[in-house]
Amino acid sequence: MNIPKKKHSRPFIFTALYLLSFLGGCEDNTLKRPEPVNSSDGPIETSPALNKADRAYIRELAREFANEFRKEIGSSVPSIHKNQSLDISLSEESSGLLDELGNAHPLLDHCTEAVLEFYLQHKDAFVISNIDQLPKNLQWENGSREEEFSSPDAIRGGTWKTFMSDFPRTLRTIGPDANGAFRRYLLDYNGVGLVMTHPNSDGYYPGLAKRWALGEDGRTVYFQLDNDARYSDGKPVRASDFFFTFYFMRSKHLQAPWYNDFYGKDKFLKITLFNESILSITYHSAKPDLVERVSIRSIPEHFYDELGSDYLAKYQWTQEPTTGPYVVRQEDINKGQSVALTRLPNWWADHKKFYRNRYNPDRIMVQVIRDPSKAFEVFLKGDIDMFSLSKTSYWYEKLPNDHDLVSNGYLTKVTFFNQVPPPTYALRINSSKPPFDDLNVRIGFQHAMNFELVLEKIFRGDFERMRTVADGYGMRSHPTLRARKFSVDLATAFFAKAGYHSRGKDGILVNDAGQRLSVELLTGYKHLEDVLVVLREEAKKAGLDLKLKILESTAAFKTASEKNHQVVFSAFNSFVELFPRFWEPYHSDNAYSPGGQKKFNADGSIRSDAIVKTSTNNFTQTAVLKIDQLIDQYRVEESLEEITDMAHQLSKMIHDHAVYVPGWKKPWLRMGHWNWVAFPEDWGPRETRDYEEFQVFWIDDDKRLRIDGARKSGQKIEGLSGVRVYEKHRNKL
Amino acid sequence: MIKMQLNPLIQRKLIRFRSLRRGYWAFLFLFLAFLLSLGAELLVNKRALIVCYEGEYFFPSYGAQIPGEQFGLNYGYETNYRELKQIFHDQAGGNWVLLPPIPYDPYEMDYRDTDSTGFSAPDWKTRHILGTDKTERDVLARLVYGFRIAFTFALGYLFLTYLLAIAAGSILGYFGGKADMFGLRLVEIWSNVPFLYMVIILASVMPGWWGSGWQISALLMIMVLFSWTGMTYYVRSAVYKEKAKDYIASAEVIGAGPCRIIFRHLLPNVISTLVTFAPFTVAAAISSITALDFLGYGLPAPTPSWGELLKQGVNNLRVAPWIVASAAGALVLTLTLVTFVGEAVREAFDPKKFSTYQ
Repeated sequence: MNIPKKKHSRPFIFTALYLLSFLGGCEDNTLKRPEPVNSSDGPIETSPALNKADRAYIRELAREFANEFRKEIGSSVPSIHKNQSLDISLSEESSGLLDELGNAHPLLDHCTEAVLEFYLQHKDAFVISNIDQLPKNLQWENGSREEEFSSPDAIRGGTWKTFMSDFPRTLRTIGPDANGAFRRYLLDYNGVGLVMTHPNSDGYYPGLAKRWALGEDGRTVYFQLDNDARYSDGKPVRASDFFFTFYFMRSKHLQAPWYNDFYGKDKFLKITLFNESILSITYHSAKPDLVERVSIRSIPEHFYDELGSDYLAKYQWTQEPTTGPYVVRQEDINKGQSVALTRLPNWWADHKKFYRNRYNPDRIMVQVIRDPSKAFEVFLKGDIDMFSLSKTSYWYEKLPNDHDLVSNGYLTKVTFFNQVPPPTYALRINSSKPPFDDLNVRIGFQHAMNFELVLEKIFRGDFERMRTVADGYGMRSHPTLRARKFSVDLATAFFAKAGYHSRGKDGILVNDAGQRLSVELLTGYKHLEDVLVVLREEAKKAGLDLKLKILESTAAFKTASEKNHQVVFSAFNSFVELFPRFWEPYHSDNAYSPGGQKKFNADGSIRSDAIVKTSTNNFTQTAVLKIDQLIDQYRVEESLEEITDMAHQLSKMIHDHAVYVPGWKKPWLRMGHWNWVAFPEDWGPRETRDYEEFQVFWIDDDKRLRIDGARKSGQKIEGLSGVRVYEKHRNKL
Repeated sequence: MIKMQLNPLIQRKLIRFRSLRRGYWAFLFLFLAFLLSLGAELLVNKRALIVCYEGEYFFPSYGAQIPGEQFGLNYGYETNYRELKQIFHDQAGGNWVLLPPIPYDPYEMDYRDTDSTGFSAPDWKTRHILGTDKTERDVLARLVYGFRIAFTFALGYLFLTYLLAIAAGSILGYFGGKADMFGLRLVEIWSNVPFLYMVIILASVMPGWWGSGWQISALLMIMVLFSWTGMTYYVRSAVYKEKAKDYIASAEVIGAGPCRIIFRHLLPNVISTLVTFAPFTVAAAISSITALDFLGYGLPAPTPSWGELLKQGVNNLRVAPWIVASAAGALVLTLTLVTFVGEAVREAFDPKKFSTYQ
């Protein structure tokens, strides 16, 4: 009997090796999740998982938008049918789309039958009027009071080398897979809308429209197009392209429900063309940030002669003519490897205020580097010009201030204090799950979370404690409210009020019924495990047992969406908006059905037969009648002062309800760049989230040669400082 | 029910095993290490061994935690004995504290001063002999408690896989015929279920309100469930072979039932085959659990585990080389020792030395 000796153990060892071979990628996957948040400032990672999750998120948003609308308008209009119009339509004849002979209006004579048919079907929403009908007393604005945010020192030319973590799946900017990291170069940081929001102020600057004016009804904005505005194929931007935008965006062929909904007729009530350059857009409500909401982009009608079911395949690898400066030429698409973008030699906005001295490089070379740590090495080699250093380990350990490249003056590390609503890293307490149905337990829990220690030790004092549920909204954020501080005494006092008086053998509090004060903390952020470990150990001091449940991010999000969590640690990206949103996360309609007040008992508590509503963003299951009422008012309020006041009140009420333990926020963005990249004096505008966003930097090829030369000889370059901090926009509070 | 006597043959094998020095010493070393790790609370612990306070003696190592108030401190949570020692020392009032040699436990973050933000290098003075990890937890403490968990886990794994494999293998081998044919197919099908995916799926649906003890047990069950099949083949073939021998036929003739034959006659003779595999199974279990931890599907955080340490070490290779050195060193040492034991066992049980072929 001679048995081959290790045969049995082989499968195990293979398994082990197989598992071990996953080393590199596994941790970074956790970072790739866009939903709830992508924490890095740098290029957002894309992966199939991201795109899928992204789309799920967009669907989610779409649903919310739809709900929001039903709530707002639903009472007056029972149901809005696809072909049923809102009751604001003008009379049949006055739509002006056709003349008496049935021919299309001259502004629309290039339209195809299908497009024209669409306009006619919705002729209450698509109106061609006469220039005489334009209100006479309009206060036109053109953003001339705003200041430019680029630098006159900028030099045009050179190649900007950057990277993406995956090859784009399409060059479309809409539809399946279009929401990847590459879209920023095609659209987000490239395209021009009607009017652009100014990143240094609350104002706007001209885009495709050279001036704009607010109508008397507060819901309509008038735009006069810039006659110079051109697409990258040389064709001018026509007023009728804004009609077409709606035809396009509502098409089912795009397979983009979020866009279908966003451009829905429930939001955009009416588009009127007055002549070849003046148009107006009417929104469904008079919001203070109306101009921003209706500043849509134009879709080049001439490019999409027919929009059919072959849309996805047909435009998969063709870039739509853009109003921005960079285009992708077919010969620059190197499948799987890289995509290069080329700057238009005579871009229409080249010399216009707010556009000059921006978009400086002649070429953008985007290569695929799938592994972030490899990308970092490539950056250190000099083959990538800039890199996000927001992660503590990059900033302190992998590229410390005394690194040769920094101290020799080749590379600069930048800390730029920006002002944008931060991703909301916070613990969200599910107030419907015991023991958190008791307010005292929630307050005690808040005092038992030692975020001070987390900030000091794990983030080394670089981050700030988040204060309220709505930080980063300027005046709209509560001015004095602060998160509750860690305090064993306060925590145990509040726990005692809730009946948890004595400590068990293991030091955890127990109540009279013998129940331990033990709660489960759910998260999908494996990379933030340290934070939770610190919180857990510190919470023990307050007699609270935190059980960590660290799942894969999709699983965690699903569990929380089903409201099966006790506490969830997560973050959501906030939009750069004028005022925060409260309805989605704190209105009872997102916590329980039935909607409205029917779910409450007379004393304000939730009725026992109310059903928990899943797949909403109310992760705290907040359902408080008073908060509801204020949110309802807040949503219809049109005066900015009132909105500000209500936002403060709501922040305070949610603070008192103690369901949200604010985590931290990064008050800056950190990045590193080779010194051949130059930035304006202030580095960038206040609302910069990402160093690529406003493209105010420029590439100096002479310096590149100098630095390359100096590197070869190991020479130090004097006069180029290695570490810079830009504090102009630092919050002084 | 199972009553097995060591037959002279096995006794001879054990004597032979003892004579193989390398394997025997490795076995003794491992055994001792495991015993010591079972009493790790007395060696590596933040709780003091003995506290003498106002003439009263306390032994905090085991049992309920003692709040700081007990020793005149101003807090109600567990006493920080290292601080207490310092305080007693400063007071010089006759109170004293005896700390274990390594005064840290595997969960506690030792944020001593402003500079301690993780990754302290090994230092004899602070008693972080192998340094600290990213949240200032003692690496040695995590290694020791991690070893205890991994080894217990491996032994449990060994016991359970063998239990299942022996049961299935004996049934297939002894009854043979159709039972064997269908049974073996089932085993084959089962063994083709991808182990890794099952672990990942099941680990993610495990209810979080389970304590970590339950979670670890559940993980053990899952691993056992999907890896007992490999052993079955060996048991089956060994049983087949033994069954054909005369002594089984004699037992049948006497009228012994299948149960008696399997447990009294077959198993003692089959066991020698299985024993040779045991150490390798232990090694495989340790490396599997380490690998699973490394991927984040293993023991629930913040349970001390080698895989987690190894992962931290690899991610911070340049910043904190002592972590990967300690974890990899410990892993290599343990697996090598286990392999030494395995080789010795195999040699001691080598049938060529003891069987005679007819």
